[in-house]
Amino acid sequence: MSRTQHIIPSGIVFLVGCWVAWISFTQQPVEAFLFPRMISMVFVALAGWTFAKALLGKSKVGLGLSRTMVINLAPGLLVMLVYVFWAAKGLGFYTATAGAFFILLSLYDPASHSDIKTWVKRGIITAVFVAVMYGLFAQLLSVYTPREVLF
Amino acid sequence: MKKLLLSAALAVTALSGGAALAADYPERPVMMMVSYGAGGATDFQARIVTMTAGNEDALGMPIAIINKPGAGGRVGWNWFATQADADGYTLGAYNVPHFIAQSIKGGVQYSTDSFEPIANWGADPAVFVVKADSEFQSMDDVIAFAKENPGKLTFSGAGLFVGHHIAALQIEKAAGVKMAYIPTKGGGAAAMKSVIAGEVLGGVNNLSDAFRAQEAGNVRILGVADLERSAFLPDVPTMKEQGLDVDNASVNFRGVMVPKGTPQEVIDKLAVTVPEMFKNGRVAKKMKAGGSPMHIMTRDEVIEMWAAREATLKELLAGL
Amino acid sequence: MEFIYYFGDVFSPLSFMLLLGGTIGGLILGATPGLSPTMAVALLIPFTFQLEAAQGLILLGAAYTSTVAGGAVSAILLKIPGAPANIATTLDGHTMAKKGQGAKALQLSFLASAVGGVFGVLLLIFLTPVLSDWALAFGPSHLFWLAILGVTVIGSLDSASVVKGLLSGCIGLWLATIGFDDIMGAQRFIFHPSLGGGINIIAALIGLFAIPQVLTMFAKGRQVDGAEVIEVQKHSVLAATRELIRWPRALTIGTLTGSIIGLIPGVGGQIAGLVAYDQSKKFSPEKDKFGTGHPEGVIAAESANNAMVGPSLVPLLTLSIPGSPTAAVLLGGLLIHGIFPGTDLFDNHPDVAWTFINSMLIGQVLMCIFGLYVAGLAARVAQVPQSVMAAVVLSLSVFGAYSVQSSMGDVYVMACLGLGMFFLERFGFSAAPLVLGLILGPIAEANFTQGSMIANATVGQASYFFSGPLNLFLIFVVIASIAYSVWMELRSRRTTTKEEALA
Repeated sequence: MSRTQHIIPSGIVFLVGCWVAWISFTQQPVEAFLFPRMISMVFVALAGWTFAKALLGKSKVGLGLSRTMVINLAPGLLVMLVYVFWAAKGLGFYTATAGAFFILLSLYDPASHSDIKTWVKRGIITAVFVAVMYGLFAQLLSVYTPREVLF
Repeated sequence: MKKLLLSAALAVTALSGGAALAADYPERPVMMMVSYGAGGATDFQARIVTMTAGNEDALGMPIAIINKPGAGGRVGWNWFATQADADGYTLGAYNVPHFIAQSIKGGVQYSTDSFEPIANWGADPAVFVVKADSEFQSMDDVIAFAKENPGKLTFSGAGLFVGHHIAALQIEKAAGVKMAYIPTKGGGAAAMKSVIAGEVLGGVNNLSDAFRAQEAGNVRILGVADLERSAFLPDVPTMKEQGLDVDNASVNFRGVMVPKGTPQEVIDKLAVTVPEMFKNGRVAKKMKAGGSPMHIMTRDEVIEMWAAREATLKELLAGL
Repeated sequence: MEFIYYFGDVFSPLSFMLLLGGTIGGLILGATPGLSPTMAVALLIPFTFQLEAAQGLILLGAAYTSTVAGGAVSAILLKIPGAPANIATTLDGHTMAKKGQGAKALQLSFLASAVGGVFGVLLLIFLTPVLSDWALAFGPSHLFWLAILGVTVIGSLDSASVVKGLLSGCIGLWLATIGFDDIMGAQRFIFHPSLGGGINIIAALIGLFAIPQVLTMFAKGRQVDGAEVIEVQKHSVLAATRELIRWPRALTIGTLTGSIIGLIPGVGGQIAGLVAYDQSKKFSPEKDKFGTGHPEGVIAAESANNAMVGPSLVPLLTLSIPGSPTAAVLLGGLLIHGIFPGTDLFDNHPDVAWTFINSMLIGQVLMCIFGLYVAGLAARVAQVPQSVMAAVVLSLSVFGAYSVQSSMGDVYVMACLGLGMFFLERFGFSAAPLVLGLILGPIAEANFTQGSMIANATVGQASYFFSGPLNLFLIFVVIASIAYSVWMELRSRRTTTKEEALA
């Protein structure tokens, strides 16, 4: 695994640590930021240590990311982001879940896309799953989730 | 196809939005936000007073309690003022003087103008408690100790700028002494624990919780911070009777409100039905069994009470 | 021996039906992501309005017992810990499920739960008066040291790298400070409106554990049929019992740690599992196997979880102080019927008190029976194709995070934390210490602030935090724990360098 790969995450963590320390030592009232100050000092020290190790190329722990992984991950991640940050509220929970579920199944199911049977199967699995979720959350637990399109 | 779906969707939303008029309201279950954790006094009482909401003579739809605890109620009320939908399906429980004191102190996004009161269900005065084997027998003993040891009399309460803190400030002001108020995290239960465990010398707590702890033989109640003695504690004198000029500013009023911007028809309908719902005999029985004093007030009475409380608190908190 | 006299009440038809219903319902609620035992019990309170006091409490007691154990189902099969109590269970339990030993992991967890649970309730029955003094002995300074002790566990919880483990813990401690400061009411690090209420622990748990797993499944891509489907090994209950007896150390450590920690008001339940896991790892000769699907890990974590249930009710039943959020909800269940816990409860309503306690005892056994049955069925989850599994876990995470307090903000926080954790995990950071920081941060901070205030008004900080036998004992344990971690780190470094030199 390349050194750059380790530098980026540890660099981000180090920057976050610095930001936390900056906020903790500048914001008022002092009493409320006493504890964050204590944490941020340890945070910055440990993050600095990790960052330095990554710069020197001495970071060995962790599996890193490979090119194939990123390519595989991208479509699923995109669906997840759209589902969580827009569709769940924009389309309503159950509609969005049905959509996202079906798309994810189609994206990652190894079965052939040309066979009509696989599509029917995916549709049935989606329908059953959404029905179970509706029964569990809407009926049994009476959680009122956002509803926009359909149900 | 997509267009068709979209327009159908629009039509559905338009229909459901426009139909939220008083005649049909409520057509689905209503949610009520409580800004304290499940099991706390406010949560417990809110669950009891709303248990008959589903009856035909009440709302005809059940009310579900949602807890948003944190920072003495600030988290929940901030959410209620800024993010809750003002469509009548999101009610909130208020605690006066808590939210008014917090809004005067600042750092929150709400004030009395952010909410529309509906009705009040309970009034829980603050009381001063000491451990059952404490040497303090009356408020006089407490004040005498505080005068001899300024700033050394530790006493607990459920946070800053809540009813307990207001009572503490009033006691200190009335007696002209300096004591050490220790706010606890975790509400009245944590504050009571520190009294019983002897971590602090005394404490301010809810009458309902203190009454229970006294029944269990763990604490002694020295005084009630209210204008009159409580029906639950006829033998315990008020602060005023013991020579401390403390009024009812710290009494914890609990009730229902909606966010500003809720349709007037909905507010009117709720203002009529909710107090009636509180008057249900089963509700009164359960509240009494739990040691929770009831005090039903209508919308107009609550508006007046909020205004009066705001004026008193502004004066009290001015020096802080 | 008074409790035996009231055993009959538990077995009256209606009571027993409620006990069964509460147990089965509790298992389902507990296995649902996002529903902690506290919420599950709160959901059941309205059902008790119509019942007699004793019967209402049977329902609540059975539900409390089985939700705690039910959380293990989603923790093991889906790697979604339903409540903080189940975090430690995911560490070895889910790894076992991935290896096809899901049935075995579930059976072990339910058997261990039952052993721990029965022991905990027996403690409640026989030692309540002694224990209530013990529960009160912990003041702010002691709770502060206890939280620090929890933080030192972080170093050894993460096997990959001690520095990155500690750094993960620090990130968790920081995340816990986001939102309103609990005592002063000041706003801290609220850089987005969703964070106004702070980071909800349940939503964070779901995100940190489940989302990285979903993304890992995505990253594997469209796999050809059969390549990844694991064969589910059947596992008999008898074999599981034998397995449980093979690890008496983990079972004992788990049960004892859980019982002792469960007693401490305000801290207990959330960290009992993790502390027990850490302790049995330290005392085990097979330390390296922890985290790779080792039965000891599951046994220690789950026996501790359920052992905590009984003792956690001691402060409530004797002193009328709810020591945990779930106890607070149970208090509500008692008050609705006009029963005040404390001496009143045992003197004037012994039937209610003992029926309640007995129902928890029987509930543990019923929970175990149903749990073992569920284990047989649920372990098939491992056979579900990866694409379906990823979609199921993602949707459950969204619903679970939302249902905690009906808030979209929690869903966003859940997804962001999960996304961040996925990338951090690829580089040697881990979720368990981060979560521990998230849980312990507020406990440490609140008790430090409160302790300092009392100290300033009375004896001064130094003598408040550093004197008294309990303080000194806890400080000693903290130092011992740190020394142990450092020693282990040095030793492993020496051996690895030797290996590297050889290679």
